[in-house]
Amino acid sequence: MSAPAVPPGWTAVALARDIDAGTSAGVVLGGAEIVVWRDTGGRVHAWEDRCPHRGMKLSFGFVRGDRIACLYHGWEYDGTATCRYIPAHPDLAVPASIRVERYRAAEASGLIWVAAEGTGGAPPEVAGLVALRSLFVDAAAGDALARLAAEGFPGLGPVSGVEQGLFLRFTQGGTAFAVACHAVGPGACALHVLVAGAADAALIPATAAFRRAVEGAA
Amino acid sequence: MRALTLWNHDLDDACYRARLMASLAGVTLDLRSVDAFPGMEHRGPAMRVLTPMGRLPVLQDGDLVLTQVEPILLHLARTGAKGGAFLPSDGQVHARMEDWLAFHARDMGAASAAREAALFGGDPCVHAPAAREGLRVLEDHMAAQGLRGQGFVAGAAASVADVALFPAFALSRDWNLDHDGFPALRQWARRVRRLTGFVTMPGIPDYH
Ligand code: FES
Repeated sequence: MSAPAVPPGWTAVALARDIDAGTSAGVVLGGAEIVVWRDTGGRVHAWEDRCPHRGMKLSFGFVRGDRIACLYHGWEYDGTATCRYIPAHPDLAVPASIRVERYRAAEASGLIWVAAEGTGGAPPEVAGLVALRSLFVDAAAGDALARLAAEGFPGLGPVSGVEQGLFLRFTQGGTAFAVACHAVGPGACALHVLVAGAADAALIPATAAFRRAVEGAA
Repeated sequence: MRALTLWNHDLDDACYRARLMASLAGVTLDLRSVDAFPGMEHRGPAMRVLTPMGRLPVLQDGDLVLTQVEPILLHLARTGAKGGAFLPSDGQVHARMEDWLAFHARDMGAASAAREAALFGGDPCVHAPAAREGLRVLEDHMAAQGLRGQGFVAGAAASVADVALFPAFALSRDWNLDHDGFPALRQWARRVRRLTGFVTMPGIPDYH
């Protein structure tokens, strides 16, 4: 059985600030399991979340310099996703054929985006927006976006200026929002919410209320 | 310095809370091992003398015997040379700590129950939805705290509430809840891990 593929074209999967240098996180995109990690120099990498040794999730591993090490037996992979070190055989010249499947990863608009290898160009850079939060919702991406476009976040007033694209953009209560969405699976998605101006903690309860509303309706 | 006695089981997450708090606060514990799993010794007649509800951990400090984890954490923080840092002096911050300690006591018990079922027998699915909902509420709170520039549950510094709540998140993979959907809690957990005196337990990898 082959794993679900990472789609061509750019998809936002996390806020840039939510993955610090020297850390890793697991991301599920349409069923495809991806490890997104930053080396200690801050560069973002996105690979299949599976160690070639015994299949452990690399997102459980730890970053050391410009490598990520698997939690199980410590195999280390460099920025080209090639295994460089096997602790059980420290003197072995590791065959260059031991590699993890790599995807494209880039940062733009305060978000981390991934795409299948071979995807060209760069993800969209929109000016004047700051990241509020990623909101994980137990609802299909299409349902969550449709509800957001129709009603916005509960309690923030009427929605105007709706534009659909790679971002869903709208204005509510004088605040401009731009929301990128990634499908986690058929009934789950993540909304990466950006706002114009300043990211105000007072907006967080409205996003949580949206999650409850859309899940209650599902 | 006097040692306090902790009746302990290494794989029990409530006992870990006490060991973590003691280590952070600089309290030396005299650990008494209780064969909770599989022996169920904590529910037996001898332990019931100390802990009538059959609950672990139990902390004994002279004549004082404590059997509820939140008061145990508070007492350890008050006792240890470095514990004062975990008891906010600001009234509002302290109140917020108490509120989240009550949340821990009332709403996060499901996480311990789900974990116990997954590891020691039972159906984790009975408890997992409530446990996940509790962690989502904490995720919402920590997302807001982050935007306020406050890295911990009650404020800018770690308090007893962080020690109480950390294991519920850090051990969630034991009952099959991944950390993917909790970006604010991932960052918070890293901050907790970096506290001086932090210790792990089985299920919490020792790195970062
Ligand atoms: S499974 Fe990754 S090193 Fe063994």
